[in-house]
Amino acid sequence: MASLRTILTAAVAGAALLGMGLAGTVQAQEIRSAAKFGDMNTVTQDLLNRAASDGNNFLQTNGNYGQTRFYPNRQINRMNVSHLRPAWIFQTDVMESMETTPIVVNGVMYVTTSFDHVYALDARTGEELWHYKHKLGPITTYCCGPNNRGVAVYGDMVYLATLDSKLLALEAKTGKLFWSADIADPELGYSETMAPTAVNGKILIGTNGGEYGIRGFVKAYDAANGKLLWTFNTIPENSQGVWATHDATGRDEHRDIAAEKAAYAKDGDPYQKLGGGVWQNPSVDLATNRIYFVVGNPSPDLDGAVRPGDNLYTDSLVSLDLDTGKYVCHFQYVAHDVWDLDAVSPTVLVDVKGKDGTMVPGVLHAGKTGHVYVNDRRDCSLIRFSEAMVPQENMWTLPTKDGARMLPGANGGVEWSPIATDPMMGLAYAINLHQPMNYFVENAAYPSGKLWLGGAFKVIGSEEQWGNVTAVDYNTGKIRWQVKTAQPMIGGILATAGGLVFTGEGNGAFKAYDAQTGAVLWKFQAGAGVNAPPASYTVDGKQFVVVAAGGNTQLDYKRGNNIIAFTLD
Amino acid sequence: MPRLPLRMPIAALLLAGSLVPAAAAADPPQAALCSACHGEQGVPTAANIPVIWGQNEGYLYLELRDFKLGNRRSEVMGAVAATLEKDDMRALAAYFAAKPWPALDQQAAPEAVARVAEAADTSAGCKGCHLANWQGDSTTPRLAGQQHDYLRATMAAFRDGARANNPWMAALLKTYTDADIDALAAYLAGR
Repeated sequence: MASLRTILTAAVAGAALLGMGLAGTVQAQEIRSAAKFGDMNTVTQDLLNRAASDGNNFLQTNGNYGQTRFYPNRQINRMNVSHLRPAWIFQTDVMESMETTPIVVNGVMYVTTSFDHVYALDARTGEELWHYKHKLGPITTYCCGPNNRGVAVYGDMVYLATLDSKLLALEAKTGKLFWSADIADPELGYSETMAPTAVNGKILIGTNGGEYGIRGFVKAYDAANGKLLWTFNTIPENSQGVWATHDATGRDEHRDIAAEKAAYAKDGDPYQKLGGGVWQNPSVDLATNRIYFVVGNPSPDLDGAVRPGDNLYTDSLVSLDLDTGKYVCHFQYVAHDVWDLDAVSPTVLVDVKGKDGTMVPGVLHAGKTGHVYVNDRRDCSLIRFSEAMVPQENMWTLPTKDGARMLPGANGGVEWSPIATDPMMGLAYAINLHQPMNYFVENAAYPSGKLWLGGAFKVIGSEEQWGNVTAVDYNTGKIRWQVKTAQPMIGGILATAGGLVFTGEGNGAFKAYDAQTGAVLWKFQAGAGVNAPPASYTVDGKQFVVVAAGGNTQLDYKRGNNIIAFTLD
Repeated sequence: MPRLPLRMPIAALLLAGSLVPAAAAADPPQAALCSACHGEQGVPTAANIPVIWGQNEGYLYLELRDFKLGNRRSEVMGAVAATLEKDDMRALAAYFAAKPWPALDQQAAPEAVARVAEAADTSAGCKGCHLANWQGDSTTPRLAGQQHDYLRATMAAFRDGARANNPWMAALLKTYTDADIDALAAYLAGR
């Protein structure tokens, strides 16, 4: 890599040779490194495999392939967290909702913003190394804000998925576009806000569009060249399922099975416009070479009449073979969902106590229903579900023309926000919303490329809204501790070996909690909603906690444009 | 349906478009026709005709498409869009989106009206799509500074089903009172 001085010297010499008239056209590309000790920027598969025990980097959106969001460094801990202070604040060019998880590789941090900007920063100082702005196509169709949840890193590349449904590979050192692949047609309702997942030479990506009459998928691309390797349709051609009358927790969903069967016989399988977005990263089980992810709501969200059947694999946990994309197993949390109480928050792989009391490979998911579901990774079967983390009332009352009140509201429970787990304590940490809503149903044909919800859900203005942070013992399903917050919570959470959990709120508060008790040990006012998942990293021997404060479009929390890194003293 | 500013037949309107002085070479050939109602300088010629200068490109394209398909009904716009192919619509959308939003000098809503509008926004989550400053993006329209009468008529049309090309908007608007719609129109026009 040429130093800045070398490049500038060459540029000046060139200008002198060609005459001053051309000096203005000479481009000096400034390339800087943020690593103190050599140039170790290549992200190997081995480095990614060991991310869960990497106390320096933060290599994946949810920390590691198991997606525990448990950071193994204890330099910042219960005893000293009260001394945490901002080390630097980086202001992006985009003042809109931020959901990015900063990724840190050897002192270089990669963050994204709404409308698909990517920044590389010096993780010690917040100094900008490069800025890439994706030129969005004229048609984008996305739900819930122009968000982006971050990049994946692999080899010498940074991978980004965009609102206009493209997958991009950027050179990690320069931000230069290396390849671009079209994932799907945005005019048909497809868009991307999730961070990709990089594993074994593949880039995995799901899709948004469950509010648009799409047919959802997870795709794998060749990391080297953007070639499509496999596609798994989250909606099979036979989506009717077993005509389940009850949800995973045993509650009656009040389905009219006879009417649904008649509609199915008359109109056929609704698989082509049935939705089934995948909003968040899959977890990867390296031992079995399987991936686990959850599939979102059926389309249209509230009107079940046009989509008879269980609507497989919506509202489900799904496992695939990583190499081929072939189906392994699934488990549906809510069949034929007409409330948008679907599955969004990313899966987490941890060992859990099985039904017979022995430890088995488990997979966790925190639902919009307000339960943490604990499933067996081997066959996707349900082991247990937690106590409800938020009030549940009138479940499952069917939506009506005039509106029917039911809790939780359609944002959850737990929205897309990733949970964190402390595998030593056997606790899962989730952030929740309490937003009383009325559910309305209204029949309408798919309005091609426009939101198709089959009705509406509306917040009941006269009722109090709030949120909470909840620690759940996933080996028993019991709530260990719970702390109420002033507003419904959306964003994400991080646990660390220092006995802490970090999470932020829409009112700008960013807090550290005691992981064992929920006591608030530290707080900071960020000036804009802290509605992004925190990360942590260590550079030159110093641990940082970093989070984006950009507010949130969906809940209309105060917008900002800050990446804030905290450290001790 | 927006009424014509002048009571002239559609054929006369289409003819009028062709009589407008030729625009710059790079302009889409149909742009002059649009300007006959939407304004030479982006200020519409009647209160119930929307601003399209500076409107979001994806939205302009989808509406032209929907007029052509009959999903959004308007005698005038249906006739105009019937003559357009997809490439024409994309070119027109790009052309008008690149123009500056005109200053209409509409008054900011009084405080009490703004409070009603903001409560209506909170209940439906309007800014979840139209974004923090009501600027929209891509296929979601900008509402800030749009013509007051057009905003009011459009919300009413969504509510009573006359405008049927966005059922989500219709479903939300059905839960609003006249007072909500009046307040939102005044609030948005004055932003």
